[in-house]
Amino acid sequence: MRRFLPLLLFLASCSKGPEADLPAISQARSLIAEWALVNELGAQHKVTSTYATVMRKRLRQQLGAIASSLNQPDSQYAEEIRAGLGEQDGASPQVLREHASRLKAVEDALESA
Amino acid sequence: MNPLELTLGIMTAVGGFVDISELVFAAQAGSLFGFTLIWVFAFSTIGMMVFGEMSGRVAAVAKQPVFNLMRHRLGLKLGLLTLIASLVSTLITCAAEVGGMGLILHYLTGAPYLVMAILSAGALMLSMWVLPFKWIERTYGLLGLLMLVFAAALVAIHPPWDRLLAGFAPQVPSGLSVKQLLQFSYFGVAILSAVMFPYEAYFYSSGGIEEGWGSKDLTTNRVTTTVGFGLGSLLAITILASSAQLFGPALVGPQEPGTSALEAAIPFGRAGLITALLGMLMAVAGAAVETCMSNAYALAQFFGWEWGRHKKPWEAPRFTIAWIGFMLLALVIVLTGAEVLSLVDYAVLFSIIVLPLTYLPVMLLAGDRSYMHAHANRWLAKGLGWTYFAIVCAAAVAAIPLYFLTSGGQA
Repeated sequence: MRRFLPLLLFLASCSKGPEADLPAISQARSLIAEWALVNELGAQHKVTSTYATVMRKRLRQQLGAIASSLNQPDSQYAEEIRAGLGEQDGASPQVLREHASRLKAVEDALESA
Repeated sequence: MNPLELTLGIMTAVGGFVDISELVFAAQAGSLFGFTLIWVFAFSTIGMMVFGEMSGRVAAVAKQPVFNLMRHRLGLKLGLLTLIASLVSTLITCAAEVGGMGLILHYLTGAPYLVMAILSAGALMLSMWVLPFKWIERTYGLLGLLMLVFAAALVAIHPPWDRLLAGFAPQVPSGLSVKQLLQFSYFGVAILSAVMFPYEAYFYSSGGIEEGWGSKDLTTNRVTTTVGFGLGSLLAITILASSAQLFGPALVGPQEPGTSALEAAIPFGRAGLITALLGMLMAVAGAAVETCMSNAYALAQFFGWEWGRHKKPWEAPRFTIAWIGFMLLALVIVLTGAEVLSLVDYAVLFSIIVLPLTYLPVMLLAGDRSYMHAHANRWLAKGLGWTYFAIVCAAAVAAIPLYFLTSGGQA
């Protein structure tokens, strides 16, 4: 097994299909879900406005970095990430969760493939 | 025994168990795998208690800090290699903590992150210069207890206690795919590494010598490692458990350290959020002080310099220059724009590789009757020590392949 390890690592790093984007899809899904949670708690006055502003800005920055580093920029999931990124800062938690759910479905499909 | 004597253990544990890496790993682990990784925390905590107690006992009886032993037990070459690897891994951890402080202040005030990181490093250096060792440990140890808000939050959200308690039993969730199994293993190794960070043993044993421990303090040592480390671990477990309950179902696998604070905001609103952020700030600040001083301790002890914060800064000049230098280096790493979460990943990875070399000399000396006399390891300490040493070695071998195969636990 040990002698195959370098090969496995090499293959993992060379993979350029949708599977190679799986970590990015998973991160993007979580970032959008975190954004939804911040907005939901913001609407209930459970977080400070400073915290909500900083979190949204940082989540959006990370989402932007993920969107521009995808191996398959024309894929359905890339479109979904861009759609999430296109939402306004104060977007409804429900709308944001729908983006996250669609990304989760892609993630599950890729994981079971 | 004065309860304030526990502060060394509390600071070591709060700074070590709920530092920036735990805030990330515990929350992600809970979100991904529910309560099923709790046992890894509990298991690693017992390991940390075993090695912490040994290093404290060696400090009290043989008056030997960890790096002094390393040079004698491993020889100059291997000792030097361990020293360099430890310095690198602890420096990266220190940078992650300084960056973490900058981030938390950024969430609290909205002021620019890097400015906050610079202010944090300045405030830490000032406190380390001005405060005697006892007050350093009391300040960061006791203020870190603001993290108890996470425990209160867990109680307030009424988790399924039966499932939570079942998480303490060793288990691997059923029905995982190969990828998920690898991810579960990666989180297991990362939690082990983050709980047993080598700097905790350096700081704890050096702290014992700073406080002038002798054989009469062995009970304090035992109670401190059990209660202090146990408390730190419990806090980390509450973060994991709340995440399992609140974040997993909401598809959140925290990518931002500040997300963990929402665990307290959900039941307690703004007051909970602010208390959680302040607790995180103090815990991370404690970890930054620990890592910075641990590196200075390691360097000074290895080369036989005068060391210790019980001395005036100018009475141990090379030690003083070392801790100031390490803090500035950590700040420089943050100012290069390195992401806090990437630093956390590297710190955890490096640390697990260094762990076996750190603990072997401690264990050998703690079992050596010519140094330790009646206080040498007995059968229980020997058995637990070697068992954990074997596990740490296996984790060190598995860490790098798991990191690459799972893209750092992401998939």
